Amino acid sequence: MKKVITGNHAVSYGAQLARSQVIAAYPITPQTQIVELLSEFCASGKLNAKFIKVESEHSAMSACIAAAATGARTFTATSSQGLALMHEMLHWAAGARLPVVLANVNRAMGPGWSVWTDQNDSLSQRDLGWLQFYCESNQEVMDTVIQAFKIGEKVLLPVMVILDAFVLSHTSEPVDIPDQELVDRFLPLPPVNLPYKLDVEDPHAFGALTSPDHYYEIRFKIQKAQDEAVQVAKEVDEEFKNILGRGYGIVEPYRCDDAKLILVTSGTITGTARIVVDSERVKGRKVGLLKIRMFRPTPIKELREILPRAQKVVVIDRNISFGHSGVFCQEIKSALYGLPVQPTIFGFIIGIGGRDVTAQDIEEIVDYASKTEKPDSIILWRGVRL
Amino acid sequence: MKWLDFETIPKVILEREPDYPPWAVSLTNTLVNRTGSWRIFRPKYFDKTPPCNDACPAHEKIQGYMELVKQKKFLEGYELIIEDNPFPSITGRVCFHPCEASCNRGEYDESLGIHNVERFLGDYGLKRAKAKKSAAHISKQIAIIGSGPAGLTCAYYLAKSGYKVIVYEHFSLPGGMLRVGIPAYRLPKDILNKEIRKLEVLGVKFKTNFTLGKDIFLDDLKQTNDAVFIATGAHKSRNLGVPEEKTRGVYSGLEFLAQINSGKRPRIGKEILVIGGGNTAVDAARSALRLGILPKILYRRTRHEMPAVAEEVQEAENEGIPIHFLVAPVKVIKSKGRITRLECQKMKLGKPDESGRRRPVPIKGSNFRIKCDSVICAIGEQIDLSVLTDDIATTGWSISADDWGRTNLPNIFAGGDCVTGPKMVVDAIAAGKRTALAIDSYFTSREIKEEPNPEITLFSNLNIGYFELAQKVTMPGLNVKERKRNFREVHLGYNELMVYKEADRCFSCGVCNKCDNCFVFCPDLAVMKSDDKYDFDYDYCKGCGVCAYECPRNAISMEEEEAR
Ligand SMILES: Cc1cc2nc3c(=O)[nH]c(=O)nc-3n(C[C@H](O)[C@H](O)[C@H](O)COP(=O)(O)OP(=O)(O)OC[C@H]3O[C@@H](n4cnc5c(N)ncnc54)[C@H](O)[C@@H]3O)c2cc1C
Repeated sequence: MKKVITGNHAVSYGAQLARSQVIAAYPITPQTQIVELLSEFCASGKLNAKFIKVESEHSAMSACIAAAATGARTFTATSSQGLALMHEMLHWAAGARLPVVLANVNRAMGPGWSVWTDQNDSLSQRDLGWLQFYCESNQEVMDTVIQAFKIGEKVLLPVMVILDAFVLSHTSEPVDIPDQELVDRFLPLPPVNLPYKLDVEDPHAFGALTSPDHYYEIRFKIQKAQDEAVQVAKEVDEEFKNILGRGYGIVEPYRCDDAKLILVTSGTITGTARIVVDSERVKGRKVGLLKIRMFRPTPIKELREILPRAQKVVVIDRNISFGHSGVFCQEIKSALYGLPVQPTIFGFIIGIGGRDVTAQDIEEIVDYASKTEKPDSIILWRGVRL
Repeated sequence: MKWLDFETIPKVILEREPDYPPWAVSLTNTLVNRTGSWRIFRPKYFDKTPPCNDACPAHEKIQGYMELVKQKKFLEGYELIIEDNPFPSITGRVCFHPCEASCNRGEYDESLGIHNVERFLGDYGLKRAKAKKSAAHISKQIAIIGSGPAGLTCAYYLAKSGYKVIVYEHFSLPGGMLRVGIPAYRLPKDILNKEIRKLEVLGVKFKTNFTLGKDIFLDDLKQTNDAVFIATGAHKSRNLGVPEEKTRGVYSGLEFLAQINSGKRPRIGKEILVIGGGNTAVDAARSALRLGILPKILYRRTRHEMPAVAEEVQEAENEGIPIHFLVAPVKVIKSKGRITRLECQKMKLGKPDESGRRRPVPIKGSNFRIKCDSVICAIGEQIDLSVLTDDIATTGWSISADDWGRTNLPNIFAGGDCVTGPKMVVDAIAAGKRTALAIDSYFTSREIKEEPNPEITLFSNLNIGYFELAQKVTMPGLNVKERKRNFREVHLGYNELMVYKEADRCFSCGVCNKCDNCFVFCPDLAVMKSDDKYDFDYDYCKGCGVCAYECPRNAISMEEEEAR
C-alpha cells in the first residue's frame, strides 16, 4: 500500500514491519515522531512490543542491550546529542555483538544549538563496530530499517540507519508499505538466534573482566564480522529485491561507466547531485555519481573498482573531521591508496549545520573541478561566508 | 589499464580461528564460583520485636494480627490476639494503648490506630468465632476471688488448659471495674456480657454475691481448692480528708458510677463538683453530663499530671465539661445537714514527689468557695487488705506478689490492682495471664516461657524510603449533641474497609512480611524463596549486606563470620 509519509514515520513502519519486540527510546528533535508512532503502535496492539520509557539515551541503549542479550529483536532511535550521550553504550552493544537496530536522524552537534542536518553526529561514531547506512529517500529509509535487522542478526553487529534531519525526517513522500506477509518472508520471525543468550535456564556471565589473553581475539572477531558484512549486506539487499521488488546496493554508481568526473555523495545530497549529473550530461560533460549507502563496513572493493575509471573524483562531505578534512573524502583517499593510477580527488565541504545544498551549488562544484587540474587546497569550502 | 585487484592485496591469514566465543561470555555458568567463601559478614533472617508488642503489657502480637488483617484474615487475627488477651473487644474500647504511643509510625506521620483494629477483631470474633466448649480434664480446681479483668483472664487461660475454675464475686454480676466502674458509653454492657458468656461456655463457674471475709474465707478456700488467685482490685475510695466530709451530698465516685452502671439515676441536684483527675473522676463527670447536669472537675495539679486516659479527658472537654486545674478542696460548708458550698484553695506545682509528678502546694490566702448541690469525690482507690489472712505478706497497702502472681504462700496467688494499686485493664489482663502460667507451672513444673525477644526495632532501624505517607483512618462516632441524656456508645468502630486500610499502614517493624525486597535486590541471586519463607544460599552469598540494608523493616541481621 502506498502512503505519503515522512521519513520519521517510514522508520516507524520499518521497525513495526520488522516485528521489533523491545523498543527503548528517549525523544529528541528531529527524531521524536519515530518513537511517537511506535508507541502508538504498541499501545494499539498493532505492534506486539515492550515499549520502555527511559530517562536518557544512555539508558535507552542500556535497556536495548539487555533486551537484545535475551534474543529479543530490539530497536531504538535518536539524533545528535542523544547519540553522543549513548556513546559508551554504543561501544557496549557492538562489543557484546548484539544486533540492535538504531535509526539516527542526522542533526548537527551543539553548540551552537542546532536541529538541522549534518553528518558529524553519526560519523563521530564510526569506529565502534556499528554498521552504518546513509539513506536518500523515505522509501529507502523504511527498506533499510527492515534490511538492517537481517544484516545485523547475520553478522551479530548493531546497525545504524541514518537519515537527514528535516530533508527526510519531516518531509513527506510516497512510500510503498509492504504487506506484513512479504516482510515475514524476507525477515525471519524473532527471537534472534544468538550463540549465547541471557537466559535464566542457561546462566552465563556476560561482558565480564577480560584479560589481555582473550580481549585481542574478541576484537579481531569484530573486524572479521565487519569484513563479512560487506558480502552479507549485498546478499540481503538481493533477497530484499527478489521478495519486495526494490534494491539499493551497498553503493550505487550512476552513469559512471564513461565518466571523466565522478561525484561521491551520501544522504539526500545524492538526489540533488543526480539531477546535476543529468543536466551536465546534456551540456556534454561526462559526469557520473557514486552514492555511498553503506559507510561501515567501507565498501573498499567497490570504491577501487568504480572510482579509478574517472580522472577526477569529487567528494561532497556534509561533515568535517576537525584537524583533517571531510570524512568521506579521507576514507576514499585511503581506499584508493596503492592503486597504480590515482584519480585526482577534490574534497568539498558543504551544507554544515543544515545550510541548503542546491543544484546550483553542485553545478558550480562540478564546474570548478572540471576546469581545475589540481584542487587549490585539501579542503574546498563551498559556500562559507567570509 | 590493469588495476591492482583488491582481492590480491595480501590479508593477514591466521593459522586457525581463535576458538573463543564472539564476545566476553563465560562458557561455564557462574555456579562453579562459590563466592560465599568471600564473605566476612553473614546475613540472617532474624525477627525482632516490634515496639508495639513490647509496649503492650499483655504482649499482644500486634504486628502479627495487622498482617492477618492485611490479608483480610479477620478470624485468624482474632485467634492470634486471644493467645495473649482473651478480651480484645474490651481492650479495643477502653485500653489506654501504650502500643500506639510506641508505634514507630508516630515518628513518620501518625501512630497506627492499633486499638481500633483490635476492637474490630474483638467484635468480629465475638460474632463469628466458634465458642470453645468446656474442656476441664485436669483434676485440679482453682478458686479465683474477684471477677475483674485479672480474675477473668486467669480463669480463661486456666479453663482453656483444662483446669476447673470457680470465680467468686462480691457483686451480683461479674466484671469488676469493667462493669461497675467503666460506664456503658465507653464499654456497652452487652459486650462485657458476651465476653463473660465466652468463659461460661468454656466451663468457668461464677459464684456471685460471695464476699471474701464475709461469705467465704481464705482458710476454707485453701482447703477446698488446689490453688487460690486473689484478684480483688482496689475498691475502697480514698477519703477527701477535709472537715465535714461525711455530709449529705458528698458521694464517692465509685459509688456514684456503680449506681449509674446498675441502671439507677441518683438525684444529686444541678450543680456538681467532681474532685480528682483519674478515670473515676472523668467518668463520673461525663456520666453526670448524661443525666443532664453540667459538672465541673476540680483537680489539684495540671493536665500534664492527670492519670486518666488522655483521650477521655479530651472527650470530656469536647463535651463541654470545664476542668479547673490547681484547685484543691479544704472544707465542706453545709446547711441543714446538706452541702451547700465547697471551700477550695489554689495550688501551685512544687518539687516532684515519689511518683515523679510535681507535688501541688497550696497558695496561702487563696481560699474561695464554690456553690454546689453535690460533690463527687474521686481522688483514688485503695486496696482492702482486711479480707486477707495474716499469713499473706503485704506491703502495708497492697498484696506482695512477684510478676507471676506468686505470693509468699505456695498455693496462693494474687494479681491485678490488688497487687499493683490502681492501674489499667491491660495490666490486669497481663497479670491474669502470667498468673495462669505460674499456676500451671506450679502443678506441672512446666517451665514458664519467657517474654518476647528483647531486641526492639526502633524507627531509626527502618528503611523509611519504602513507606508512603498515609493518614490514620478516623473512627466514626456520635457528635456531642447525640451524646446528651443517653449512655449510648460514643465510638462506633471500623468497618471492614476501614480496618483494612488502617492495618495496611503497619510497617511490620522488625518482622519479615515477605515483601520480596531481599529477593529482588540480592545481586548474587542468593536469596531462595519458598512458599512460606526465604533462605540464604550461603554458597554464593558474598555478605554484601544489600539485603539487610534494603529490608524496609530490619528483619535481616548481619553477623560477623567466624574465622575459617
Ligand atoms: C471508673 C474507672 C474507669 C476506668 N477506666 C479505665 C480505662 O478506661 N482503661 C483502663 O485500662 N483502665 C481503666 N480503669 C482501671 C481498671 O478498671 C482497673 O485497673 C482494672 O479493672 C483492675 O482489674 P482487677 O481485676 O485487678 O480489679 P477489678 O476490676 O477492680 O476487679 C476486682 C473484683 O473483685 C471483686 N472483689 C473485691 N473485693 C472482694 C471480696 N472481698 N470478695 C469478693 N469479691 C471481691 C470486685 O467486686 C471486683 O469485681 C478504670 C477504673 C475505674 C475505677
